[in-house]
Amino acid sequence: MWAAVRKLRDHELWWHFTRSPLAVGSAGLVFAFVLGALTAPWLAPHDPFDPARVFLADAFLPPVWVEGGDPRFLLGTDDQGRCVLSTILWGARISFFVGVSAVAFSAALGTVLGITAGSVGGAYESLVMRAADVQLTFPGILVALLIGGIARTLVPPALLEAAAVWVVVASIGIAGWPQYARIARAVTLVETSKDYIAAAQVMGLHPVRIMFRHLLPNVIGPISVVGTIGLALAIVSEATLSFLGVGVPPTTPSLGTLIRIGNDFLFSGEWWIVFFPSLALVLLVSAVNLLGDWLRDALDPKLR
Amino acid sequence: MPLLEVEELRIVFDTRKGPLCAVDRASFAIDRGEILGLVGESGAGKSLIATAIIGLLAPPARIAGGTVRLAGRRIDDLDAEAMRRIRGRAIGAIFQDPLGALNPLFTIGRQLEETIRVHRALDRRAARARAVELLRAVGIPDPERRLDAYPHELSGGMRQRVVIALALCADPLLVVADEPTTALDVSVQAQILRLLEQSCRERGAAVLLVTHDLGAIGAIADRVAVLYAGRIVEIGPVAAVVRNPRHPYTRGLLGAIPRIGARPRRLVQIEGTMPRLDAVPTGCAFHPRCPHAVARCRGERPELEPMGEARAVACFRPRGAEGGLG
Amino acid sequence: MSAPPLVEAFGLEKRFAIARPWLARLADRGRGRFVHAVAGVDLAVPRGRTLALVGESGCGKSTLARLLVGLLLPSAGRIRFDGRDLDLRLGRRAWAPVRRRIQMIFQDPYASLDPRWRVADILAEPLEAFGLVRSRGERRERVEELLRQVGLSPADGQKYPHEFSGGQRQRISIARALASRPDFLVCDEPTSALDVSVQAQILNLMKQLQEELDLTYLFISHDLAVVSVMADVVGVMYLGRIVELAPSKELFLRPRHPYTRLLLDTVREPGRRGRLPLAGEVPSPIDPPPGCAFHPRCPWASARCRGERPELEPVGEAHAVACHGVEEGRLPDPRGAPVSSPCAAP
Repeated sequence: MWAAVRKLRDHELWWHFTRSPLAVGSAGLVFAFVLGALTAPWLAPHDPFDPARVFLADAFLPPVWVEGGDPRFLLGTDDQGRCVLSTILWGARISFFVGVSAVAFSAALGTVLGITAGSVGGAYESLVMRAADVQLTFPGILVALLIGGIARTLVPPALLEAAAVWVVVASIGIAGWPQYARIARAVTLVETSKDYIAAAQVMGLHPVRIMFRHLLPNVIGPISVVGTIGLALAIVSEATLSFLGVGVPPTTPSLGTLIRIGNDFLFSGEWWIVFFPSLALVLLVSAVNLLGDWLRDALDPKLR
Repeated sequence: MPLLEVEELRIVFDTRKGPLCAVDRASFAIDRGEILGLVGESGAGKSLIATAIIGLLAPPARIAGGTVRLAGRRIDDLDAEAMRRIRGRAIGAIFQDPLGALNPLFTIGRQLEETIRVHRALDRRAARARAVELLRAVGIPDPERRLDAYPHELSGGMRQRVVIALALCADPLLVVADEPTTALDVSVQAQILRLLEQSCRERGAAVLLVTHDLGAIGAIADRVAVLYAGRIVEIGPVAAVVRNPRHPYTRGLLGAIPRIGARPRRLVQIEGTMPRLDAVPTGCAFHPRCPHAVARCRGERPELEPMGEARAVACFRPRGAEGGLG
Repeated sequence: MSAPPLVEAFGLEKRFAIARPWLARLADRGRGRFVHAVAGVDLAVPRGRTLALVGESGCGKSTLARLLVGLLLPSAGRIRFDGRDLDLRLGRRAWAPVRRRIQMIFQDPYASLDPRWRVADILAEPLEAFGLVRSRGERRERVEELLRQVGLSPADGQKYPHEFSGGQRQRISIARALASRPDFLVCDEPTSALDVSVQAQILNLMKQLQEELDLTYLFISHDLAVVSVMADVVGVMYLGRIVELAPSKELFLRPRHPYTRLLLDTVREPGRRGRLPLAGEVPSPIDPPPGCAFHPRCPWASARCRGERPELEPVGEAHAVACHGVEEGRLPDPRGAPVSSPCAAP
């Protein structure tokens, strides 16, 4: 355990990290969000999904520091009397879950397709990479909308409520794979031209074994950088889909759902219902993005 | 007065663990029209010395001490602009990779003409005529037509000829050639070396030939300086050093070169490897690999001392010295 | 030279399609252009000896090496190992029965070891791939034995490749090749990325291992001096073909082919300034000259050389040359490699 900590401390990446205030700041912010999202059931001052605890009488209360604010609700309440702070914590939980799952899905799909395309070559490679090119000509959100639409017609209506989150994960996930496939293929092409792969071939190792033991470890680094930046994108995509009403159902509100609900009250004076979820989304996405950018620069020796 | 004087040159790398000394108090001189070979294995610091002389040392490497004088004038402390002018006019440079030295987007004619016009007040026509003349001088057949070729359309040997022509554009006093033949095929290497020698001797330009290949130095150089772990261990006329190497490292290096005709059961080999910059031994840097090392070699660093005709050795027990090894 | 050959090749060829996207190929209905990297090579590597192939870039020597170990599949020709033909119709699987016995050492010691693996794991990979060890203890013992065999210490097994110098990495590469106890090692420019003093160490090690383990080498190099130290038989390659094949001593004493003579003239050694070399460079293998591929650079080329390709013909005991001039006896007498001044070192 201590050996691992010491190894991390001595690692070059850690050295770069401690010397970049931006990286430390955004990492701190992301960490706070992750912690808040994970501990929402305990941390949130209220349970916004327990009908027995939500009272319409508390609706439209402004934040505490505004006149008419209620000390029980730090950031005010929404139209149904739910605590805005609590809904943000729960919403971030959903956003994170969808974002991480979608990135894991597209990274896994893209990596498998990219590595196999790079090492098999031929018509298979052309097919995979042209499919990636074609998909990249459409905006990702459009692809996600399309896949979500198809999925919703395929899933039986009875299951739709339960499966809604997974439909969002799948549609964002499928929309994102070409990025990962391109990188995985590029790394594979570079590495297969090196002689240690030839040495493994001379040993008669099965191609699949070479992929897992030699190629995959090389692909993981660049993929994780793109994945970090992709996480920000996935969270925004989820928010967009939910804002458009084709994302997660309103009973399990994500940040996007909250913004959609709040949007109705933007011009009637209850600004806080939309402002705080939006602020949370902007902060979260910027922090994840900055962290991803830093990671890319730190891992890329050419930019150092 | 020698053309180039390098005195006590120190080059360090700034790392996060502090400065690492890569070239330690290197001193040598090159006369007008002379060809000096600087030989060393990878990591010995030979390219750093060349880069420092042409003023292109980039962080994390920097000059940490000593002086470089060209024709009596100090050039190691000049600003980038003044150094750029000297580099074009008084010092020509040839690098290992000719493709990297040429701009892939312009024809070689345009690159030559531009370089010529930077240094001489010539109009386009005259510059073109001079470019043709230069290309012919470096042995490029049909130079009028080749002017319109792009670098990628030429073979490796032809490209290196163009780079030599570029280096000679302004009739420099000194040509610094850093591994000019390493990237080329063996039959082309010989041609390029011969060309480098002839064209520089004709113009009276001195050459600093940096290479790992003692054969190349033997082929064209007048004198040779042997570099080990950032220090010059032996310097002298090529023929004398090759015939009678005084430093044990020079001797090992010469013995390790395979030769046609001789078919030994084993080649002479120097045990071990050159130390890394962060682990240069105390005293003589070569002592852990030296078969003749004594206690003094471990504690005290030998200085480059004159020994015999125009030669100098940094060794306490050089061959041929009194009390040394016969 | 009386030993029966361990490895033989007959009419071995390798064509590469000049890489173009398949859409472009589709557009002009597949009229692909080809490079003949290896254009019909016959060779035999005597058991326990070293056959060296020498030539400049683009001569096909590395392609030939990769054909023999099965990294590339020949376009035509036969390969025979230890008296048995490989069934090349099986593709890569043709090598399965001899996989363990044929191994390779590569040129670039920085690219031939997986940087993410510890040395012990790198050496254990072939042991496990061929099922040569049964327990962890056996595995550790064999890895340590291999490390010692190439002059490294058993403790080095716990390090990563980047902790070693180029020469030490090449030792690791050799140890990996030896792991499966092969008979035949293909060495593709094993020392050309190394400094001379380290090159001497590696060449000595390879000679010593050959003696101890009775190895057969195919040694690829562009450096005639290295070849003269290592080889028993030398094949000189030019644009995909062997133009001269002879026992090492004979070749350096009496080179016959004009290209061999050119190569010998370019050899530089300290203390010898070398002869004035021939002009010209190796032409592109995409568009080789007709007739004898060397004729544009050959001072003795005749009309016949420009039109008709010479075949490898015997000119003496175990000496064969592909040259019309030699066959017609119109070339001047060969001048051998100038014997250099005696080695200065002790």
